Amino acid sequence: MNIYSVAYKNLLRKKTRTALTAAGIALSAWVLATLLGFNRGYENGLNRDIDNMGFQVLLTAKGCPYEAATLMLKGGTGLRYMLEDVVKTVTSNPEVEGVTRMLMQGVFDPNKGENGAIAAYLGVDAQTYPKMKGYLEFKQGGWFTDNTAYEAVMGYEAAELEQREIGDKLLIPGLNAELKVVGVLKRSGTQDDGTIFLPISAVQKIFSKQGKLTGLGIKVKKGADMDAFENRLYDLPDVQVVSMAQVKSTIMSLVTSAKVIVFAIAFIAVIIAMAGVVNTILMSVMERYGEIGILKSMGAMPLDIFRMIWAETAILCSIGGMAGIALSLATARAAEAAVRHFLPFTPNGNMIALDFNIAAGAFGLIVVGGLLSGIYPAWRAARVRPLEAIRSEGE
Amino acid sequence: MKTLIPLFLCALFSGPAFGAVGCDLNDPDRDVARLFPSSTGYKTQYLSVKTAGGEKLLSRIENRLGDKFKGLYETIDVPYTLYEIYKGKEKIGYIHGVNQKGDYGGIQVFLSIGTDAKIKAFYIQKLTSRAARELRSKDFGAQFTGLSLKDFADYDPVTGKAPDTSPVSKLKSPSAAAENDFHNVLRSVKKNLILTDEFLFSKAVK
Repeated sequence: MNIYSVAYKNLLRKKTRTALTAAGIALSAWVLATLLGFNRGYENGLNRDIDNMGFQVLLTAKGCPYEAATLMLKGGTGLRYMLEDVVKTVTSNPEVEGVTRMLMQGVFDPNKGENGAIAAYLGVDAQTYPKMKGYLEFKQGGWFTDNTAYEAVMGYEAAELEQREIGDKLLIPGLNAELKVVGVLKRSGTQDDGTIFLPISAVQKIFSKQGKLTGLGIKVKKGADMDAFENRLYDLPDVQVVSMAQVKSTIMSLVTSAKVIVFAIAFIAVIIAMAGVVNTILMSVMERYGEIGILKSMGAMPLDIFRMIWAETAILCSIGGMAGIALSLATARAAEAAVRHFLPFTPNGNMIALDFNIAAGAFGLIVVGGLLSGIYPAWRAARVRPLEAIRSEGE
Repeated sequence: MKTLIPLFLCALFSGPAFGAVGCDLNDPDRDVARLFPSSTGYKTQYLSVKTAGGEKLLSRIENRLGDKFKGLYETIDVPYTLYEIYKGKEKIGYIHGVNQKGDYGGIQVFLSIGTDAKIKAFYIQKLTSRAARELRSKDFGAQFTGLSLKDFADYDPVTGKAPDTSPVSKLKSPSAAAENDFHNVLRSVKKNLILTDEFLFSKAVK
């Protein structure tokens, strides 16, 4: 019989106490693994969403909040424009890998709902925009190839709402401009799902905005000095710079404050679980005081006793840790739904990214914490004096 | 920049809504009161052909309609919102809407239906058409009041024709420009009446 089977049998003597302690450890492991998974999943999702934007910097006209938001808030009247000359200025910077021109326009459609609503259209460059949005896939058709064509590509939800398929007609209300739908996108889970894309020159002509843009997406070369580049863009007259790095850091700062609180709670949960381990093992040692004395009188060395008690701690923490990891895997989707409900901004994709490394890390932390907690009870057991212990047992 | 980033985030993370698109009233509190002036409240039910009877029901609906469900969006799993209208504790009717493919965009047609299965009010919530104003006018909608599924039984949505004896043949398109969407609207009304019959009235008889 080895030391582990002795330790295991000792734990089975008080099944309820052992089960409750293991449950406490399992809860700590569950919280820890879920939080570590969330930490990774959120950051991955954010990076993916920002990469899916296709560009790292967005240039808009000064005083003009993001174009889509302006359309929503001001009904298409608050848009301000940049002149297309800005394209040349921006592309002359060595950091720029590519740019894509955009012109957002909206019209009031009195026949949407009881009081009318805004119908919005995003004019994009047929040559550059599809390359930057390489992740977009088509359910039907494809991108327009001519910037002057009266054609449209519809995000999945926009197409569903308008019941459009390729070959169907699309009318811009009030302007009598008729377009042909040439593509319907698959769902991407981004704002593109609700967008109607038109060739940029066609939008400029239909809305009489020749030579004007509402946005310029800029793709920056890998390894370029973003700060220096952005500082140069800030010097451009009448434009505003929205950097995806800033967007990311803003979101992360929003999330970090929440994460600090949550990690503090997780830390407290781990401490409580460890206190439970100390309590359980110490009680077990006290209850077996005489027994430990007999073991020592029969020749067991302090190190043997220490190892036996420590093995009990290790078994308890391993069982609890594994149960907690299994629980975190089983409840990952439910935890994700809860996080999405409570957080103001959540990226797409898996938010609780649990993998082997995270599971192993959380398990390791729990076991190491448990073993540290087991040192004191094991040390107390190792220091038991045989005669004193046997005498106190007899009394 | 501080105001810009939240706005940008709204655009970046506007949540996707998965599943087939249904047909809901934009503002149920206001719209129910307008379409059923005597109402004091309503309850909402969500139904679909898939959950109410599956392929068998779809086939029966298509037979009664005289046309197939077609295209990417007219599918068996489209959710339908049925508003049960109450005056006090008494149920006084229903409001039900359907999406219909139009010439230039989606058309959302709602019917207020009494407990006698007759149309009490007709409302096009959304329509993109060169004759949108005419098709959404009160005069055009008033033509449907009092009609029921029986009146639409002989209307053929494929040819857009109804026998001279059918009350549907007396419905007038408001203008030549509206002709195609007029027939789209008639198809949607017939589909709407069949669906409410399958979801409600036939079910009640059975």
